[in-house]
Amino acid sequence: MSDIDNSNSLLPGFRVLDLTSSMGAFCGKLLRDLGMDVIKVEPPGGDPTRSEPPFAKDHTHREGSLRFAYLNAGKRSITLDIGKDSGRGLLLDLVERSDIVLETFEPGYLSTHDLGYEVLLERRPKLILVSLTGFGQDGPYAHYKTPDIVGTAMGGLLYISGDPKLTPCNPPETQSYYYASLFAAYGAMLALWQRETRGIGAYVDASIQASMALHEHVAFNFSAEGRVMKRAGSQHQHNAPANLFQCKNGWIALFVTQAHWPLLLKVWEDHAPELDDPKWINSNLRRAHADYINAQVTSYTSRFLKEDLAELMQKNGIPGLPVNSPSDFMKDPHIQARGFFSTVTHPVLGSFPQPGSPFMFDGKRAAPSPAPLMGQHNNEVFCGELGLDKKYLEVLAADGVI
Amino acid sequence: MHSTNEILKGVRILTFTTGYAGPYAGRLMAGYGAEVIKIESRKGGLDTFRHYGQHKDIDAAPRFIECNLGVRSLSINLKHPTGARLIRELAGKSDAILENFRPRVLDKLGLGDGELRKSNPKLVIVKLPGFGSEGPKSSYGTWGFNLTAFSGMTYLWNHPDQDRPIGSQGVYPDHLGFIMGPTIMVAALLRSRLTGKGVSIDLAQIEGTAYTLGVTYLDAAVNSHDPQPRGNRDPEAAPHGCYRCQGEDRWCVISVRTDDEWHSFCCVIGRSELIDDARFVNRPARLEHAAELNAITQQWAEARSAEEVMNQLQSAGVPAGVVQTGADLLKDVQLRHRNYFASFPDSLIGPFEIPRSGILFRGMSEGPLRLPNRFGADNDQILGEILGYDEASIAKWRAEEVLT
Repeated sequence: MSDIDNSNSLLPGFRVLDLTSSMGAFCGKLLRDLGMDVIKVEPPGGDPTRSEPPFAKDHTHREGSLRFAYLNAGKRSITLDIGKDSGRGLLLDLVERSDIVLETFEPGYLSTHDLGYEVLLERRPKLILVSLTGFGQDGPYAHYKTPDIVGTAMGGLLYISGDPKLTPCNPPETQSYYYASLFAAYGAMLALWQRETRGIGAYVDASIQASMALHEHVAFNFSAEGRVMKRAGSQHQHNAPANLFQCKNGWIALFVTQAHWPLLLKVWEDHAPELDDPKWINSNLRRAHADYINAQVTSYTSRFLKEDLAELMQKNGIPGLPVNSPSDFMKDPHIQARGFFSTVTHPVLGSFPQPGSPFMFDGKRAAPSPAPLMGQHNNEVFCGELGLDKKYLEVLAADGVI
Repeated sequence: MHSTNEILKGVRILTFTTGYAGPYAGRLMAGYGAEVIKIESRKGGLDTFRHYGQHKDIDAAPRFIECNLGVRSLSINLKHPTGARLIRELAGKSDAILENFRPRVLDKLGLGDGELRKSNPKLVIVKLPGFGSEGPKSSYGTWGFNLTAFSGMTYLWNHPDQDRPIGSQGVYPDHLGFIMGPTIMVAALLRSRLTGKGVSIDLAQIEGTAYTLGVTYLDAAVNSHDPQPRGNRDPEAAPHGCYRCQGEDRWCVISVRTDDEWHSFCCVIGRSELIDDARFVNRPARLEHAAELNAITQQWAEARSAEEVMNQLQSAGVPAGVVQTGADLLKDVQLRHRNYFASFPDSLIGPFEIPRSGILFRGMSEGPLRLPNRFGADNDQILGEILGYDEASIAKWRAEEVLT
C-alpha cells in the first residue's frame, strides 16, 4: 500500500473482477476511476455490450461500440468461459487474487455453476461479492427481466417524466442501470471499509428498482402527504418561474425561489407593474399562477441569446443555465478549464475526448484510459499473473475456454 | 443470525449542507452507522429545506425530515470567532467533513482545508459544489434542475421530433451527488486510513451528471454529430416502449429484443400467427416494422390492466413493467419483500414510510434510521462529551449567541 502516496489514483491497490453485462458495467467503471485494477471477464464471444450501439462511424464491429468503450474505459479485458470446468477453475484462481467480484447474472446463475458466494469465499476469505439485478436476489419479481426502461418504470421515475399531454418519457442512455451501479459501488466501498476495520467479507445485493425508487420523493410524497406526483414537463412542483424559457437561439433553465424573485424583477427593468405587488414574493402563489408568471417571463427571456441571458442572470445572483446540446456542453470553457475531458487514443476508434474521473482529489484528476480490446490482457493475466504456460493458453483458446 | 448493518459505526462526519444532495449524502452515511453532525445556525445558516412548504416549526418541513434522517444537530454561529474555533476543535475529533456550500464560503470563515486539518492531518474533506471548487463558472448558482439542462440531459430527455425541449421537473444531479458523495467519501476514508494523511475531494455535481452521459459525448465526438432525443425508442428492440393500459393514466413498458422473447410475446397476446410473419421474422425485420408492432402491442395492452400486462409477459419471459406511481411503490410486493420502507409511526409530520436504500447486505438487517434530532438538540452533548467543556461555558456561549 506504500505506493498510494505516489499514485495519481485515489485508492489503488485493490483488484475487482467485473463479470457484469451493461447492467453493471458502470459500477466497475467508477471503481476503476477510484483507482482500482478492474479486470473485465468477457465470455469468449465477447461481452454483449460490444454489439450495442452507438458504433463508431456506424460500423458494427466488436471493437467499435462506443457504449462498450465508455463503460469499460481503463479496465483490463480477459476472455473466459466460466461455464466450462477449466474456465471455472481459472476464475477461482483469479478470485483468490481479488478483493471484489461484481456480477449481474440472473439470481442463482453462479450457484448453478458451483460459484456461489460460499464457494468463492472458500478460495478467498473476506471476499466482497456484489450482485446487481433488476429486483434483487430473491422475492416475487427476482426473475423478472429488466431492460433499462423496466427499471425506470418499476422504480417510479418514468411516471413523473415528460410532458403531461404525452407518453411518459425515459431519460437518455440507461440511467436506471447507471444509478443502481452507483448504489452497488457504494455497497462495495462500505464492504471494503468493513473488511479493513473488522476483517470480514460481505455479499451485497443491489436492486435497480430499489435504487430508482428513492428518486424525487415519489414514494415519500405519497406516504407523508398523500400526494401522487405526476408528469409536469420541466415545471418544478414548488416554484415558478422554475422551468425552461424560450430565448432567441434556444432555451434557458431558470430556477427562481423567494430569495431570487426580487433580484429578477430588478434586472428585468420593464416588467409589468402588477408583478411588483408584494404578494408575488410567495413561491406558493407564483407556483399556483405558473401559467401567468411563465408567460410574463417568456416575454423577457425571448429577447436574449441563451448564453448571454444565463450570464446576466448569474451576475445578478439568479440561477439560470442554458439548455445545452451535448456538443455545447463539451465545448463549454468552464468544463474545458477543469479538464473533465481528456484525449484518449484507442487502436480502433482513434483519438477522441473522453470524460475522466468524475471528481478531483487534492487538485488532481485521474486521466481516462481507453477501453481494452477483447481479451487484450489474456497473456498478461493468465501467463504473467496466474503463471500459466503459453502453450496451455493456446490449448484453452482452441477449446473455446478463452 | 442477523446483525444490524452499522458498518460506519465509529466514523464521525461533520456536515455543512443544505438542500437535497448534501444532506441526503449525510443521511446515507448515518443510515450505515456513521455519526453525522449537521452544523447550522439561525444566524444566516439554516438548511433551505427547513423552509420548504408551509411550516412554522423549522423541524417540521417534510422535505427536511426526508433528507436528514439519522442526523445529529449542532447549532453554532460560524461567523462568531468562538463558533469557528469550536468547529476547528471538533474537526480535530472527527474523521471527515462534508460540505456543499458555494466555493470559498468556509475559507472566509477561517474553516478552509488547511485550518481544519491543523489539528487532524488525517481529516477527509468532501465538497459537493454545483460547478466545482475551481474554474471560471465556479461561483455560479446552480440547482439540480438547471445542471440537468447544462449537461445536455434536458435536451436529450424528450420524445423524438418535438419542437421544444421537455426535460424533467426533477433534480437528477442531486440524486447522483448524494450517492456518489458517500461512495467517494468512504474511498477517501480508506485512503486516509492506509496513508495516515487526509485528502480533499472536489466532486462537482455537473461532472457527476455528465459522467452518466459519456456514451453520448463519445458518440458526438467520434461521429461528429449532435445526438438527438430518442424517447422510449431502443435501437435494439421492437416492440419497445411505454403503452397505455386500462384505467386513468395507467401505462406499462414492454421490451422485446430476442427471437425467443418475440415468440413468447406472440403467444401471450394470442397472435402466434405473427411468429411466421415475414415482417417480423427476425430482429432487423421487427425494427424495420416497429410502427406496426407498436400498434399491435398498444391494442393488446389497452384492453388490460398494467399489472396484468406485466405479470402475463414476465411470466412468459418477456420484459415488461408497470409505470408505477408513488402509490404503487408503497404497495409493491417486491419492495415489501426487501423490507424497503422504514416506518415512522409518529413524527412532527404524522406517520410516514420512507425508502431506505438500493442495497442489502446478506445476513445483516438494515441499519438504524432515526428522525433528525431537533435543531440544536445535540449542542450540550457534543460540546460536553466530545470537546470536554463544562456546563458553565456552554451556558455562556448560549447567552453570547455563539450557540444559536
